[in-house]
Amino acid sequence: MFIEIWQKIKSSPIIILIPVIFLVSLGMLSLYSIVMVQEQAPPNAFSKQSFFLIPSFIMLVTMTILSKRLIHKYIYVFYVLVIFAVLLPFFGDKVSGTYRWINFGLPFDLQPSEISKWIIVLVLARYLSDNNLKMNHFNSNIFPFIIALAPTIIVLNQPDLGTAFVMMAPIIPMLYWVGARPFHLFLLVAPLLSIISAFNVAVFYFWAFSLALIIYASKPKLVHGIGLYFSNIFLGLIFPLVWNSLRPYQQNRVLTFINPEIDPLGAGYHIIQSKTALGSGGLFGKGWGQGTQTHLKFLPVQESDFIVSAIGEEFGFIVLFLMISLFLWFIFKILRLALNASDRFSGLTLIGLSSIFMAHIFVNSAMASGLMPVKGLPLPFISYGGSFLVSSFMMLGLILNFGREDVY
Amino acid sequence: MLRSPNSVSKEKFWLLIGLTIFLHSLLLYRFFQLQILDYDLYKQRANSNRIRATSIPAPRGLIRDRNGEIIVDNYPTYVLFGIPGEIVNKSRNFSVISKATGIDTSYLSINYKNNYRSKFLPTKLAKDLTISQLSRLEENKNDLTGIIYKQYPERIFNPKIRASHVLGYLKETNQEFPSTISNKSDYQFGDLIGWSGLERHYESILRGRKGVSYFQVDAYGREVGSIDGQLNILPTPGNDIITTLDLEIQELLESKLKDKKGAGIVSNPKTGEVLAYVSAPDYPPDLFTGLIATKDWEFVITDIDKPLLDRVANGTYPPGSIYKMIVAIELLERKLVNEEWEVFCPGYYEFYDRTFKCWNEIGHGKVNLKKAITESCDVFFYQAIQKVEIDNLSERSKIFYHGEQTNIDLPSEMKGRVPNYKYMNKKHGKWGWSKGAMLNLSIGQGELLVTPLQIALYTNILATRSETFPLHLVKNEYKKINRIKIRNSTWELIEKSMRNVVSGSKGTGRRADPKIKGLIISGKTGTAQNPHGEPHAWFIGYGTKSNDSISIVIMLENGGHGGEVAAPIARSIFSKYFETDFKIAKK
Repeated sequence: MFIEIWQKIKSSPIIILIPVIFLVSLGMLSLYSIVMVQEQAPPNAFSKQSFFLIPSFIMLVTMTILSKRLIHKYIYVFYVLVIFAVLLPFFGDKVSGTYRWINFGLPFDLQPSEISKWIIVLVLARYLSDNNLKMNHFNSNIFPFIIALAPTIIVLNQPDLGTAFVMMAPIIPMLYWVGARPFHLFLLVAPLLSIISAFNVAVFYFWAFSLALIIYASKPKLVHGIGLYFSNIFLGLIFPLVWNSLRPYQQNRVLTFINPEIDPLGAGYHIIQSKTALGSGGLFGKGWGQGTQTHLKFLPVQESDFIVSAIGEEFGFIVLFLMISLFLWFIFKILRLALNASDRFSGLTLIGLSSIFMAHIFVNSAMASGLMPVKGLPLPFISYGGSFLVSSFMMLGLILNFGREDVY
Repeated sequence: MLRSPNSVSKEKFWLLIGLTIFLHSLLLYRFFQLQILDYDLYKQRANSNRIRATSIPAPRGLIRDRNGEIIVDNYPTYVLFGIPGEIVNKSRNFSVISKATGIDTSYLSINYKNNYRSKFLPTKLAKDLTISQLSRLEENKNDLTGIIYKQYPERIFNPKIRASHVLGYLKETNQEFPSTISNKSDYQFGDLIGWSGLERHYESILRGRKGVSYFQVDAYGREVGSIDGQLNILPTPGNDIITTLDLEIQELLESKLKDKKGAGIVSNPKTGEVLAYVSAPDYPPDLFTGLIATKDWEFVITDIDKPLLDRVANGTYPPGSIYKMIVAIELLERKLVNEEWEVFCPGYYEFYDRTFKCWNEIGHGKVNLKKAITESCDVFFYQAIQKVEIDNLSERSKIFYHGEQTNIDLPSEMKGRVPNYKYMNKKHGKWGWSKGAMLNLSIGQGELLVTPLQIALYTNILATRSETFPLHLVKNEYKKINRIKIRNSTWELIEKSMRNVVSGSKGTGRRADPKIKGLIISGKTGTAQNPHGEPHAWFIGYGTKSNDSISIVIMLENGGHGGEVAAPIARSIFSKYFETDFKIAKK
């Protein structure tokens, strides 16, 4: 049996572990600096993260050697379980204004929505590979969309907008992979874009113009085209009116819904501090343990949401460049495995997992560098956070498993 | 179908690769923009234009006595900090501070060395700065780098009393917390936390909420102005607590126990309110305020008389003869003896091959139960105890809170020890002890250990036929203790005997009576032998005059005879409390 397991591990694309090892080391190095310089006694971020590497490794191996057939067979059951799991925190206590965590009486809390991310990917992969759908019909996109949406809506109510976004991220690339028409996928995201762009007049004009071009270029029936166009524009026009008719405290309630950790200083205090930390690092950084912005605590949530800024301040642009390159290598590798996968279920899963990692990398870094509004999402393999670390290694295990060239 | 083909066009693959490259490049460009193109801007901002948030400590609630007089107050002190990473030239900075304030530079250096935690954390340099020292520092502000000061409300105590064991002290938090604290995350390194006494028990009431103030600092860590006053959060002061202590009674009891070792508690037997609580020797209550000087510490810790020990709640002693009422109640309730049952006391009692002495070597002659309590005859109890089962006695003792916690509102109290059959077997082996041990137990000696606090509750129970409340130091709603079911005739006999102890011509406690008209005092003395030298002297008693009553427990460690040394102290308290002019002042 052990020989069989060893064979399985050996035939897995373990080369993908190289960037991961570098990334984990970089994260630990940065956490160590935070913990040591600020003299935080254990249990601190560093010691807890080190501890979580143990279950992470066990889960990595488990997910690598698990039978793909079993995963395929029982994934729908897991989907139902996950829906219950994300409902569970609502029966527990509120932790900093949200219902994300379950306390099992362990010294740490668990966040079930972390696991739901990749369960959704597997469910979608099975649904899209089992049924030979006519993907050039728009209607074929709707049911997969609902599969992803159901748990997402629950998570959105926890409220956890960041995780909800990550849960929806894989659907578009996966549908595209099985042959959905780009125009149809565009229609799925268009209403959201209409609402967001409506807050700025210039952006809205630009959006209205591009929308017209895209609809015209994809040549739908005249009635459909006009209907689609105007319903989107209408949505965009009506939303600011609805928003403005809300009283300030109601608007505030919505804003805190979007970001429960909204900072007391308002006015983007977090972003300013984060950009200052990043920018002052320069090309080579201030040196390990020498980051004034980090250690004088100007930098908020420095172990997780803003760890990029802590790294940027102490190690400089060079190391951030290396870090992004490692992530790029990692994502390339997954996409390459997806292309060469022996079956559609594996290929789709790999595409979905790469999208999850991509969403985390992009949102975290874009937010820390002020490209996006503050919405906390951890950086894979680097940020402090037990549930997320274990979940990331489980996804990594799935990648090793599904990227293997199976001999039937 | 697990094996549906994965037929994907290269086109799709390359599009996804393209998208990935695009997103990563966007991030890289952004980092490049911030770190390379705008480097000078952010470097300058990081150095010269920082927003720093500091917490403003909240004043703790005051502690008052029963009449509203302040026992513990706050006064503002200033503490000087240096941020190591921002002090450009340490010795120059220190000499500027020294010149302005008169504080020795070596003192600053020692504090700097001792308190240094990291380059980026404020290091405490000096405490208790006066306003004038501070204003002279302010004049030299431009010569100082990385030096900041914070205002701390510090505890100041009423000079009349010490009450150090009751009030307790505060400590700066580091890694350890009292087990009672659940919201550890509310505390930051260096915050003050109630570490003992009432300060600890009522921490959540006394502690206010910290405020935050934001201000800008320049490249040298010097404050250059507040950013926006509206952002500041003002601290919320803690709530006051009103104790049941009476400043004057406490003061008197402290003076009586000065230079002695022992404990004293004065309480109201009807309500359980503690009027005075003294453990001697004690320590000055302001010993622990602010930074503790090491030599003060050593002085207190190395003292062989253990001034830090709260003898009232945490000292355990053999009770001696004051235990006899429990034995008497056990004898009467189980009808093992009656009021008339008599023994002859020749001054000693021979039990097999051992001789047990009565404290009075001449002997008491014919003794019944009442006389045995009044004159504290030991021989009576040596004989009577042989009718008693040890486990019954141990259960009876527990009902009277021997070996049980009184649950007073203080963070720590000892349980003492009441031996039972199981305990004796465990300690001495099944055949290692005999009825002889019971003889010792009958006069409150041997394995029995109690705290003066338990004895105070025991006294209140005897004074009120158990219609009393738990002992407490802060006024609040309390539930009556469980009623003890004992026949009225038993209560009456015990009460009569205890009254005779003080008012009878041969009573051992007659020195406790100040002879005030209308004041009736009952009590019991105890003289507990112990291996550490002179016996411990006990007096317990309660006095009632026109519906007003107090109870007193005095214990002097190695003090001698209870009736000779402890009872006179009780007399002075009785006389002070029931004096007419004191009553008027007390309203």
